[in-house]
Amino acid sequence: MRAMEPEELAELALRAAVAAGAGYADARWVRQETESLTVTDDRVDDLEAEDSSGLGVRVLVDGCWGFAASALLDPERVRDLGRRAVEIARAAASVPGEPVRLAPLEPAVASWSTPLGRDPFVVPLAERVELLLAACEAQRAVAGLTHARATVDLWRRRTLFWSSEGARLDQTVTQTGAGIEAVAVGDGDLQQRSWPNSFRGQFLAGGWEVVEAADLVGNAQRVAREAVDLLHAPELPERVTTVILDGQQLSLQVHESVGHPLELDRIFGTEASYAGTSFVRPEDRGRLRYGSEAMSVTSDATTPGGLGTFGFDDEGVPAQRAPLVAGGMLEGFLTSRETATALGTTSGGAMRADGWGSPPLIRMTNVNLEPGEGTLDDLVADTADGLLLSVNRSWSIDDRRVNFQFGVEAAWEIRGGRLGRLFKNATYDGRTTNFWGSMDAVCGPQAWVVWGIPNCGKGQPYQNGRVSHGAAPGRFRDVHVGVRGSGGSGGLKASPPVDGGSGGAHG
Amino acid sequence: MARLGERLLEVAEVAIAAEGADDAEALVIREAGGLTRFASSRIHQSTWREDLLVRLRLVVDGNRVGTATIHDMEPAAVAAAARRAAEVARTMPPDPGYPGMPGPAAYAAAARWDEATAAADPATRAGLVAGVVHRLPAGVTAAGACETRELEVAVANLRGVRALGATTAASFSILADAGSGTGWAEGAEPRLADLDVAALGERAARKAVDAREPRELPPGAYPVVLEPAAVATLVQFLGWLGFGAKAYDEGRSFLVGRLGQRVCSPLVTIVDDALAADTIGVGFDFEGVPKRRVTLIDEGVAASLVYDYRAARQHGVEPTGHGLPAPSAEGAYPMHLAMVPGATARAELVAGMERGLLVTRFHYTNLVNLMETTITGMTRDGTFWVEDGQVRGAVRNLRFTQSILDALSAVRAVGADTELASEDGHGAARAPALAIDRFNFSSATTF
Repeated sequence: MRAMEPEELAELALRAAVAAGAGYADARWVRQETESLTVTDDRVDDLEAEDSSGLGVRVLVDGCWGFAASALLDPERVRDLGRRAVEIARAAASVPGEPVRLAPLEPAVASWSTPLGRDPFVVPLAERVELLLAACEAQRAVAGLTHARATVDLWRRRTLFWSSEGARLDQTVTQTGAGIEAVAVGDGDLQQRSWPNSFRGQFLAGGWEVVEAADLVGNAQRVAREAVDLLHAPELPERVTTVILDGQQLSLQVHESVGHPLELDRIFGTEASYAGTSFVRPEDRGRLRYGSEAMSVTSDATTPGGLGTFGFDDEGVPAQRAPLVAGGMLEGFLTSRETATALGTTSGGAMRADGWGSPPLIRMTNVNLEPGEGTLDDLVADTADGLLLSVNRSWSIDDRRVNFQFGVEAAWEIRGGRLGRLFKNATYDGRTTNFWGSMDAVCGPQAWVVWGIPNCGKGQPYQNGRVSHGAAPGRFRDVHVGVRGSGGSGGLKASPPVDGGSGGAHG
Repeated sequence: MARLGERLLEVAEVAIAAEGADDAEALVIREAGGLTRFASSRIHQSTWREDLLVRLRLVVDGNRVGTATIHDMEPAAVAAAARRAAEVARTMPPDPGYPGMPGPAAYAAAARWDEATAAADPATRAGLVAGVVHRLPAGVTAAGACETRELEVAVANLRGVRALGATTAASFSILADAGSGTGWAEGAEPRLADLDVAALGERAARKAVDAREPRELPPGAYPVVLEPAAVATLVQFLGWLGFGAKAYDEGRSFLVGRLGQRVCSPLVTIVDDALAADTIGVGFDFEGVPKRRVTLIDEGVAASLVYDYRAARQHGVEPTGHGLPAPSAEGAYPMHLAMVPGATARAELVAGMERGLLVTRFHYTNLVNLMETTITGMTRDGTFWVEDGQVRGAVRNLRFTQSILDALSAVRAVGADTELASEDGHGAARAPALAIDRFNFSSATTF
């Protein structure tokens, strides 16, 4: 028997769902190809090549959601997915709430794909291996280095989205990443320096040109030297000071303390038990001062090269650009068709699933900190006393996105407008609106880069999202760096709780 | 789709029949399950999915290794994946350290498959949620998830490995919200029928009510009683920070220079034991090596590492059955950690604390310093002040930044009962509650 085409499978699932009683249904057929290569020192340490296709059916029955998905796609099983999704939705009605209503949407019939320079999947594996071995060899030329690692990751996802409202969408998104990690070990310590970013490098939508732009070999020796230097650098002492975050670190700061708190599902409490909620309330729009006047943040699914760039989200809503924070004031949220209804608006197009097996959730697209003026050199020159903090190595924030603490790979002292000593094990912490309120400068377009975050976790079952943040280096005043209580004897401070007061708050 | 059983091994055998391979291995995994999520005391998301993965590892020219993974079990697709893996292998540089593949082994039968759990339908899960939600006290709402799933795993290789195993798992988590306070509880078992969902709901609701109107507490070092979920976070982080032999060999393990030495209190023993009756999983690793019980920390002494096949060959020891799909940049990984319980009832742990904090669980923990085993994270869903052995109300959540080994060195008592907990997908860990004399809280939040 002839295998059915993906379009036929999507149509079959949709018809089965509607016939079983779905008031609304959509079917997503997804094929995801992944190739991941890791070279450590002088050998290929890992190579994964994965090809995964499947279909997920999402339905609304009497205002309740149901979702069923499978990788095994014979016609009878596909029909069963439609029926099963309806059965799941009906079971949900036993613990009902307000019926789900979807914001209106003009169903689109369209195709979209990521603009590519050179298709990364056709770059011969031998060429990829050769590049990564060369990047490791260049790192290993630096005396004192313990390990060199280089990576390339390729992802391609084709999504067919068929809805009972008539949407017929065919999208192919290609994303590419590359990076190096230099590791120095000694005297009971381990230090790492990465390029262009930590956690396997820089990721963008695009082709092999992303790898070439990273210039892994050209940066290898500098990065390796910095790792070795870190091993011998002093610990960053605890204090309150001015910090400049580089674009890599600032992109994660945006992610954790702006992007996530403005996801409207978190705000409405539907992610409460796992990822958490938000300190932001729906009524804060137009009223909450989120940060200083230098802070403007935009959600933009059209940003060239972003991991959150697409033609349509996974509800079939077209890509959009909209302000989230303008001049420090809260202006908008990341929304879905369901949550937009509660605000009386249409969806902002932020529903994304991590594959065929997961229902879409509200996710960031490209949540960008808009640029200001000048270069990083200008900003350092304008700073009398402080620190330049570079590239993330640790992150944590509370379940309402208020109290955060980040660690970075490297910290350079700034004295009299010049970079000075290198410090290791640097951390900083604060509270979200206080911290953003202390930002007095962001560098300009020449320093603004779209940084990819390929490992954003959310949802149950767990989903891994890929998002981006455009960011240039930014400066923050009166920031607490280092960890209270980490050094010194300190003694045991078993004080009784106090009512009111500042209680050690800072930021 | 019903359980596939021996059919999985047949798929694996088709896969390794590729012509021209010197070595071949197939890993076949079928997973299926449903998850019902609720929030604001209503079911808002309910899903079911099934997946089937075939991963091939082929070796040509003696030591060139290629892999390919597909999500399909049709013979033509599997054969195409085998050709792809062989093509990759021919392109790869030789691996001088290629260790070969494991040979046949006997596997302990693990009776962790429960038909009722595998067959649990959405109405069953919704019914459990409804039962809990409808019994909540006035003014309390709930969020959480009820999940049932089944897992079948097969591994076959040309050297005669034929491993087949299956497990089921059920979990129920609930966050109760009483306005200014939240409480939380979670249970996980191989069999759905063994989950006491009503008790979990009552515990979370009681905590939420008790956690209302939290007071502010200055950051600082305090004695603590950590409940099992919080202890499980510490144990799982230790697992991630370097019990694997490859991490140790590469110098990226906190155990470098410490094996055989005392690293924490003699009250602390940590094992990895996938064969324990009270955990979830199959009895072999992703290379088909039988899993063994390994004592990692023995009464406070760093005792042993876990080994995949490659590391075991390098060290001249037997593999412990902790291999991830090979080749792996990470190496061996302990996925079934357990801290051995003590003799102190949980209530006595609190009763024995003059002044300090009772912590329900941690949130968003992350590594700060690997060699120091320092991590940071937040408390959430029930953090209480204890004075003279009595809980004296809730406090606002605090950030901790703390060396795990330092905390485990300051253990005063170990709880007698354990819970199976999970943290951010790193696996499952069974842990007791702990009383610890000093735990560093570095900052505070607003709720």
